[in-house]
Amino acid sequence: MYIPKPSQFDADANGHFGIYGGRYVPETLMPTLLELEASYKKYRFDPEFWKEINYYHTEYVGRPSPLYYAANLSQELGAKIYLKREDLNHTGAHKVNNVIAQGLLAKKLGKKKVIAETGAGQHGVATATIAALMGLECEIFMGAKDVARQELNVFRMKLLGAKVHAVQSGSKTLKDAMNDAIRHWVTHARDTFYIVGTVAGPHPYPQMVRDFQAIIGWEARAQILEKEHRLPDHVIACIGGGSNAMGIFQHFLEDESVNCIGIEAGGLGIDTDKHGCSLKKGSAGVLHGQMSYLLQDDDGQILEAHSISAGLDYPGIGPEHAFHNDNGTISYDFITDDEAMEAFVWLSRAEGIIPAFESSHAIAYLKKMGNAIKNKLIIVNLSGRGDKDMMQAKTLLHFD
Amino acid sequence: MHKKLVAYITSGLPDNSFTIDLALAMADAGVDSIELGIPFSDPVADGPIIERANLTALQQGVTFADVKAISRVIAPIIDTLWMGYFNSFYHQGMEKLLQEAQAMRLSGMIIPDLPYEEAVAYAHLFAQHHVANITFVAPTDSDARIATLVENAQKFIYLVAYAGITGSGQSEELEGVVASIRTHTATPVYVGFGVNAQTARDKARGVDGVIVGSAFVDILLRDALSQSAKIDAVAALAREIKEKINS
Repeated sequence: MYIPKPSQFDADANGHFGIYGGRYVPETLMPTLLELEASYKKYRFDPEFWKEINYYHTEYVGRPSPLYYAANLSQELGAKIYLKREDLNHTGAHKVNNVIAQGLLAKKLGKKKVIAETGAGQHGVATATIAALMGLECEIFMGAKDVARQELNVFRMKLLGAKVHAVQSGSKTLKDAMNDAIRHWVTHARDTFYIVGTVAGPHPYPQMVRDFQAIIGWEARAQILEKEHRLPDHVIACIGGGSNAMGIFQHFLEDESVNCIGIEAGGLGIDTDKHGCSLKKGSAGVLHGQMSYLLQDDDGQILEAHSISAGLDYPGIGPEHAFHNDNGTISYDFITDDEAMEAFVWLSRAEGIIPAFESSHAIAYLKKMGNAIKNKLIIVNLSGRGDKDMMQAKTLLHFD
Repeated sequence: MHKKLVAYITSGLPDNSFTIDLALAMADAGVDSIELGIPFSDPVADGPIIERANLTALQQGVTFADVKAISRVIAPIIDTLWMGYFNSFYHQGMEKLLQEAQAMRLSGMIIPDLPYEEAVAYAHLFAQHHVANITFVAPTDSDARIATLVENAQKFIYLVAYAGITGSGQSEELEGVVASIRTHTATPVYVGFGVNAQTARDKARGVDGVIVGSAFVDILLRDALSQSAKIDAVAALAREIKEKINS
């Protein structure tokens, strides 16, 4: 059974990873965050708590997710490629790992209402799902633009009993959905638990969500050792906020022989102003409760990000990634919209697996590696399935 | 004792010279301190009125340089503080910014997303340059936390009137929080959030002053009013609130 272990990369007492992280929130929320932190500390290593989570993981989510040997990709590339199949989880992505644990924590804190922000809708659907399961009242904040382009997921959330707020302010995407979720939280902090969807936000969220997602890496490590009797050369994952990446990397970070590679959204190219590469093109700043790398202008105003994938369309990144970027513990690169779309089709046809647009970025990196990939043993975190992207894919791709 | 009125206005809406005229007219109308707002793209502590003012100012190209230009003119005449989100301040470099603030006689900074734990790292810079970093107290705070927060509070304590965002119609019982603050510090307590002509008298009860933002900014956003009519309306509202809190 998975139970997190203390890591050399844990945040300090006030939630800092080096200069990043922290708690940059209005004072009204500080007591709530301190209460949450105390609760997280109490349950972090508690076997009873993890037994409960484990029950839902096995019986409800379908964990452990397989580590699938992608024979056709491997042959084509001259390497050994394994896919960590988070796409097979209930609700279709890794997001559910985190929301189950946060939902249980909300119940332990006696909170009956949960809120969440969502971009593509995957985290919103996962939150609405566990709210239905656990009998919690659920409200989801989603940018009006995303509501329009992800109407199927909006319907799913409503079907599951959640109330969906279409956020009309700012750029009407994930960033603005988070703004309004925070405004709602400040107003209802006493009875409402904010289920943050990624390794971002104020402490303790980044480290807590990492703990909740690190079951991916814990399983993957055991699975690769069983199948290959050795550790992988590379572990590759896409990054929006960075929770699927932090989750799978966590159990390989202390192995010098393993190179963890995080893939940001290159959008239309990093020399344009339409991308989501906070690390490559951003600078340190404070947004949504944390210090991290941000896309911002000369005056510190937050810029709009762009990615074909709504889940990577965010101008920031989790603070622990900012730390690992500076520290050199993780390598970071990017994949453009076009490369991701090509990989979306490639994996569909080579393995019969339709990946989410987000995960297609990680798959695409296999091609970007060029000859360096030969004879390497690689795990790619296939963080989600492409069902949610069918409407968008249909407008972009034409097969005649 | 004479109760104080602190007024928030968004900088550069619609231009610097208007903001200067407005601030000076407010000083004449009895406003004790001007809280000069630095527009930010993501003002999460603010309600729809101030958010709209922020985004409008940004669309018009207002930058921190404008805020400084306005401050250089008004700070010697009326007590002036900056209000904004930490990213704007951080991006300027805190040490350099506090030097500049001191030189232009700014009296304080109000940064809602820089709570006590994160502010500690900058406390020596604020002290060195004689600029107050205004302490927030929220109705969600316990007595023990209030004791920590107010220990080194300067100028005034910004008591948030309710758990929420600026300009909403909520209200909460604050007697207990105020009593708790009073046992730990002699620093004056000003209450902010949701203070307008209708609520001012009630909100001022038991505290030393009020902070008013959305009610003024609402006037600034009325497109139908001429610039001079906006200044007249804001000044009239300031006089009304000042009278009500002291009656």
